[in-house]
Formats: sequence, structure tokens, C-alpha cells
Amino acid sequence: MKIKLKYIITTAAFIGVALLILLAKSISNSDFISSDSFRILLGLNIFFICSLIILIAVQIFRLLQSVKKEITGSRLTLRLVMSFALMGIVPVLIVYLVSVNFLTKSIESWFDVKVESALEGGLTLGQKTIDILMSDIELKGKSIAYSIGNADIEQRNNILTDLRAKFGIQDAVIFDQDSKIIELSSEKNNLIPLIPDVRDLERGGEGFFGRIEEVTGEEIYLKAFIPIISKNLMSKKLILQLSQPIPPSISNLALSVESVYDEYQQLTYSRNSLKIIYILTLTLVLLLALLSSVAASFVISRKFSSPLAMLADATRQISKGNYKKIISEQGKDEIGMLIGSFNSMTSQLEEATKNSEKDRERVEIARTFLETILAHLTTGVIVIDDKKIIQLNNVSASKMLQNKENKMNNINIEKIITNNSLFEPLFKFVETYIDNNKKNKIEISKEFRLKKDKKERTVMLQITPLRDKKNTQYVLVIDDISEVTQAQRHSAWGEIARRLAHEIKNPLTPIQLSAERIQHKFSDKLSKEDSIILERSTKVIVNQVNALKIMVNEFAEYARPPKIEKDAIRIDNLVDEVIELYEIDKIITIQKDKNIPIIYADQNKLRQVIINLIENSQDALKEIKNPIIKIFIRKKVGEVELIIEDNGIGIPDEIIERIFEPYVTSKKTGTGLGLAIVYKIIEEHDGKIKIERINTSGTRVIIKLKSGER
Amino acid sequence: MHYSKKISIILIIIIGALLITDSLHDTEENEILIKDVVINSTEGLKKINFNQEINFNPIVMKAIDRGIPLSFKVTLRVVEISDIWPNKTRLNKVGYYQIEYKSLRKVYKIRDINGNSYEYKYIDEAVQKILKVENFEFTFINDYENYELWLNVALDRKKLPKPLQVNYFDTTWYMTSNKSIHKL
Repeated sequence: MKIKLKYIITTAAFIGVALLILLAKSISNSDFISSDSFRILLGLNIFFICSLIILIAVQIFRLLQSVKKEITGSRLTLRLVMSFALMGIVPVLIVYLVSVNFLTKSIESWFDVKVESALEGGLTLGQKTIDILMSDIELKGKSIAYSIGNADIEQRNNILTDLRAKFGIQDAVIFDQDSKIIELSSEKNNLIPLIPDVRDLERGGEGFFGRIEEVTGEEIYLKAFIPIISKNLMSKKLILQLSQPIPPSISNLALSVESVYDEYQQLTYSRNSLKIIYILTLTLVLLLALLSSVAASFVISRKFSSPLAMLADATRQISKGNYKKIISEQGKDEIGMLIGSFNSMTSQLEEATKNSEKDRERVEIARTFLETILAHLTTGVIVIDDKKIIQLNNVSASKMLQNKENKMNNINIEKIITNNSLFEPLFKFVETYIDNNKKNKIEISKEFRLKKDKKERTVMLQITPLRDKKNTQYVLVIDDISEVTQAQRHSAWGEIARRLAHEIKNPLTPIQLSAERIQHKFSDKLSKEDSIILERSTKVIVNQVNALKIMVNEFAEYARPPKIEKDAIRIDNLVDEVIELYEIDKIITIQKDKNIPIIYADQNKLRQVIINLIENSQDALKEIKNPIIKIFIRKKVGEVELIIEDNGIGIPDEIIERIFEPYVTSKKTGTGLGLAIVYKIIEEHDGKIKIERINTSGTRVIIKLKSGER
Repeated sequence: MHYSKKISIILIIIIGALLITDSLHDTEENEILIKDVVINSTEGLKKINFNQEINFNPIVMKAIDRGIPLSFKVTLRVVEISDIWPNKTRLNKVGYYQIEYKSLRKVYKIRDINGNSYEYKYIDEAVQKILKVENFEFTFINDYENYELWLNVALDRKKLPKPLQVNYFDTTWYMTSNKSIHKL
């Protein structure tokens, strides 16, 4: 059962106010509410005050607990509650103290001494007036009693009537001691006199006795009892009773003064009670007002702090990245507007975040795309800042620079130079470029032929500066163009070979035929000695022409247009077939995997390759004591690997990088076109060939050909 | 569960209100002693005479002199006593007697339980008069043996001035007798 606090407080306040109004009414108007009702009202008021105290205590406890648990908005609520409570308590307390003081003094001022004296004077005046009237009746009564006492019995009634009328007395009755009416005279003819109290008659028998009687609270009668002393001593003792109303003008005034005096006296007597009740009521009002204001301060504070707490919470949520936090509407005041603006801001922020996220995703995709491209580029890409620190690089760059880690971020290029001296000229150039071109945006390209120890690489460097307002970064694109350069050289050699074949081969046959014809025609005509010289010279010409023919044919082979006829062949079978030609030497061993896959290749060309390589190995083994040629045929994924290695003299380091170029050879004899032709054939088969020195001695040639592809 | 909780809270509120109200109830003191009760019966008509001792302390005497009328309420109940069933009230009768000072005439006016007025010059005489309650009449036919007459006298606070009525903290005006029980 969770009833909202504001409803409890509102209800309690309304009931309390209603009870207080009734309480105040019950004090001021005795007819309105009885004292029992007053007691119930008082009890209910005290009960409500106690309830409010408990309610406030519970609220304070809960609030302190919230502050302890650091619930958002609780501290603000506490401050607001204290502020509102103080704002309520201080003025109400001041008003209360002033009111109590004013009330006490006001009540005291009602009982002024002068007023009391005046009232007492008025009452005394009334009493004295009545006493004077009583004295007057006494005198008149005594005169009547004397006259009647000295008169005869028969004359009593006349004398009584005459004197009563003469003195202006309303009623005159003569009683004997037994309360029996002896004579009677009255202004009213139909008077039936009341029998007086026996004690009054007794007192009247002893002497004058006066009594003031109040009739119906409006009239005052003076009654006088006077003994009648008769001249006849033996006669009965008689008492004269005179009844005379006080004139209404006097009696009304006297009764009025008495009434006011009595009320004043009662009021004077009960003034302490009056003070207590008024102060009690005032205190109840104070407590109810105070407690209601304190209780209301909780409601108001929560009303104020609740949206702010929600705002704080929402701000916290937003700081954590939750932009979907929307605060419910809180009216149309400033806080409502603030919340509206906040919600609008949150929506915009969410929208912006979504856009930013999309942009970030796009950038990420682009970055991944770029990274993928960079990663798969054979070209090395390095980004360095103007302090020559590497900011970014791709895998190819790290491989090119033989760095262990793929990422070279935050490494100074000086360190790269130290680790890899091959690239020293390149990076020295980069350093010089950066130092000299900090303010320019010159893009530069330069080819480097790098040579260190046995390694030789041709690389193309392109530097592109990227400048923004603060920093400059440089993109280094390093392209290893060694193979391209080699291919260009091969192409150039091919062109030379074609021209040589064309220009040299054609005149060779006429030269040979002409030389043979000269010998045939003139050998018989010349002396023996001259004939011998002619024959020798002609033979030299023919031999040299033949040699030139062989050379030109090899050039023609090297320069021929790529024309291969591919068939499905087993390279292991082809190798076996070739080896049979060299069985006499017994220096060739072969190791091959099982189930070597079929390759599609030109069988004759490949045979020429194998023969060339074996013959090269044989040439290298001529001066070796234990010559051996090892052939390995291995099955690889998607390709077949053919390795031919020997333990010969090997290829010098100076030429190994260019060994596939024409006329690059370590042999004393030969055209220097054998390996160039091998290279060309493998290239025409989309294969790869590599030649390397074996650590101890010897050479290893590795050929890789694609399997199962036509 | 929901309703039981609701009911319990309402009960707590009611009990709390009753306790507070009850704490403000008359803290009655037995300052009137009823004695010498005599019941005269003539067929159905019965008359009660009894004397009282009333502790008129100086505060009360002063109040009388200040013109505050003191009215005493005599409550008479005839109750049928049952050993099994709750007692039943067969008759309930209330009578008043009063003492009042008349400042103009300087007399103490007494009105007895039968409505008769008496005036005394001195307060002692007036007080002596009101201490005796005579001929308080009621009609009841005693057809069953087990009847009791319960008699109680108390100062009627409702006749006091309002400030004295509502000043629950002043116990002077809580004058009442014990319940005087007599076989009828």
C-alpha cells in the first residue's frame, strides 16, 4: 500500500484546519459545540499533530537514509526541506510568540481595576438605592403599624387602605402569628396574597425585617415585615407585611449592573483558564501550521528536486553513453522547459551519436579497407611525422625492412637504419628531405639501388607530405622494383638477341659458302704451302661461322617469341627420362614424393630446362672430388617443387643477383645464355625460379610450377 | 494481504485517536460522598433522601462568591441485576440542585432537587442546605426482587462558564461521587 505523501499531508492539513476552526468556534461560541465536542476536537487535533510528527520523523529518516545511500537528488531534497522548514518555522514562531504575548496582555487588559471598581460602584449604587427604598418602606410601615395599633379593630381596614394608598404601597397585609390574614389592602383588587415563610413572620414579629425578592428575574420586590404593637395588650400579636415593587427603571438598571458584574466576576475568575485554552489553541495552530509546513516542505522539495534529480541521473546516464534516457514531462514552468530542452538535447545528441557512430563505422570500414589494401600491397608504406617517428606502416614495409614485428609504430627511423643498413641510403635521404622540406609540400620520387654485402635491391621511394594546421606527416611509399628492373633487362636482352639473330645470322651462310668455294676453287691452283694456308684459313672461317651460328641460334632461342605447347605431364617422369642420359656419371640422386600431381607444361622446353641445369651442375663439379647432384621433387599445395642442387664451386655473390641475365656467368666457356633461357621458359610457364648458394658450398635451384592448371 | 494492511493502519489511527481523546477525559476525583440514603416507598412512588459530604475547597468557595453557579447533577438508575445476562437499566432519572450567589441582594440562592428556591445570607447556611437532598421522587413498581438503585452525584461542568468547562487541565471541577448502590 503506497499512498503518495502529498495526498496524506494535504488530507491531514485539511482535517487539521477543519478541526482547528471547529475548536476555535467551540471556544468562542458555547452554544455551537459542547465541551464534550471540544474535548473530542482537542483530542483529534493532538492526534493529528502526533500523526504529522510521526510522518515527518519517518520522512526525515528515509531522507537521511537516501543521503547515506547517495541516491541522486537526496542531498538537494534535504537542503530544500531544511530551507523551506526554516522559512516556515521562523516566521510562524515569531507570530506565535507575539500572539501569545498579545493574547495574555489582551486578556489581562479585560480585567482592568477601573472597570472592576466601576462595576462594583454600580452594584453598590444599586444596593444602596434598594436600601434607601427599603428604609423608606420601613418608615412608612412603622407609621402604618403605629396607626393600626392605636386604632380600633373596626377601623383597621380603613386605616390600612387609606395609609397604603397615601404612602403609595402596592400591597399591605396584616398576618397574625399563625400566618392567618387579618386585614388586606392592595392596589389590585383581585390580590390573593402568598403566605410568607414562617421564619419571615417570626423575624418580623421581633422587629422590622426587610426582604428583597426577585420575581421572574425582571422585577424586584421589597417586602417589609413590621410588628403591630396594639394598645390592647391582651390582643394577638400582629405583623404587617408590605410589598412594594422597585420602579422598573431602577430595577432594570440594578439587575443589568448585577448581571454584568456577575459575568465580569466569572470572567475574572476564569481568566487563567481562558489564557490556557487560548494559548493551547494557539499552540495547536502553531504546531499544525509548523508541522504542515515542514511536511509540505517534503512534498515541495521533492517536487523541486525530483526533476533535477532526474536530470542529474539522466546526465549521468548520458555520460555513460546512454543517450536514450528521456525524462517525463514536468509541466510548463522553467523546470519543465529545462527538461524539454534536455530531452531535445538528448535526442539531438543521440542522433549525432548515431551519425557519429555511422561515420565512425564508415571510417572504420575505410580504415580496414585501407589496412587490408596496405597489408596486401607488396609495396611498403610508412607514415612518419616531422620528428621522424613512424606513425603507421604496412606489413610489406616491415617485411621489406626485416622488422620482427609487423607494427613499427613509434619507432624512430634512426633505429630502422641501425637494424637494417641496406636501407641506410634511403632513410638518410628521407631524413634530409624532412629536414629541408618542412615548409614545402614537394612530392618526390627517387630510385635507389641498394647494395650491402651480398644483397642488392632496386627500390623506388616516393615521399608525399601531408600537412595540416599543426603537424606534417610524410607518407613513404617504398616499392621493390628489383624484379621489374630485372624483367626490363631481360626484355632489353631479348630485343638485342632478336636484332643480333636477324643481322648476324643472314650473312653467315654466304660467308661460309664463299670460304668453302674459295678453298675448292683455288686449292689446286696454289702452291702446296699456299694451299695449306688457304685450307687452314678457310677452316678457321668455317669454324668461326659455325660458332657464330650456334651463338646466333642460342640468341634466337632466347629471343624467340613466347610459344609453348602445354600438355599434361608428370614432371617426375620427365626428370627420370632426362637422368637416364646421365646414368654413366652415377652422381645424380633423386628424391620424390608419392603421387606427384600432373602439371600442364611444354615437355620439350622443360626437358631443356632440366638438361641445362644438370649440365651447369656438371660444369661446376668438374674439379670437385666427391661430386653429387641431388634432385628433389615435392608435392606442395597447388604446385610442384623441383629442386636441383650440387656441391660444386657455386656462384659468386657478385653475380648471383643477376645470374639469370644474358652473359652473366661464372663459367669460362659457354655463351652465358643458358640460365637466361631457363628463366625465360619458367616465366613462360607462370612458374617461379630461384637460385641460391648453399651455406657450405654448392648451388641450389628451386623451381615452382603450378599443378593441375592448363 | 493488501486489505489486512489497510485495515490495520485504519485501526491504529482509530485506536490512537481514542487513546488521546480518552487521556483528555475527566480525571474524576471522588470529592462527593453520598451517605444516609433512605428510600421511602409508597406503592409505586418512591422518595429518596440522602446526605452528602462535599469538599468545597477555597477555590470553589471563591468561585461561588464570584457568582459562578454550581449545579449538581443527581443521576438515579434502577438496574435489574442478572447473574447470567448483562444488567438492564430499568429507569434512568436525572435531577439537579444548585447554589448561586446573588450579588445585588447579597444572598445565596439555593434551588433544591424539586425546584424549590431558598435564599440565605450566609454561605454556610446555603451549603448546609444543599448537602441534604430530600424527597427526590421517582416512580417504579418493584415486581422483581433483584433490583438495585445506583446513585451518583456530580458537579455539572456543562453549567460552568465555558473557559472552566474546556480547561481540562484544571481538576478542581471534576467533582463527583462514587456510585452508591442500594437494594431496592
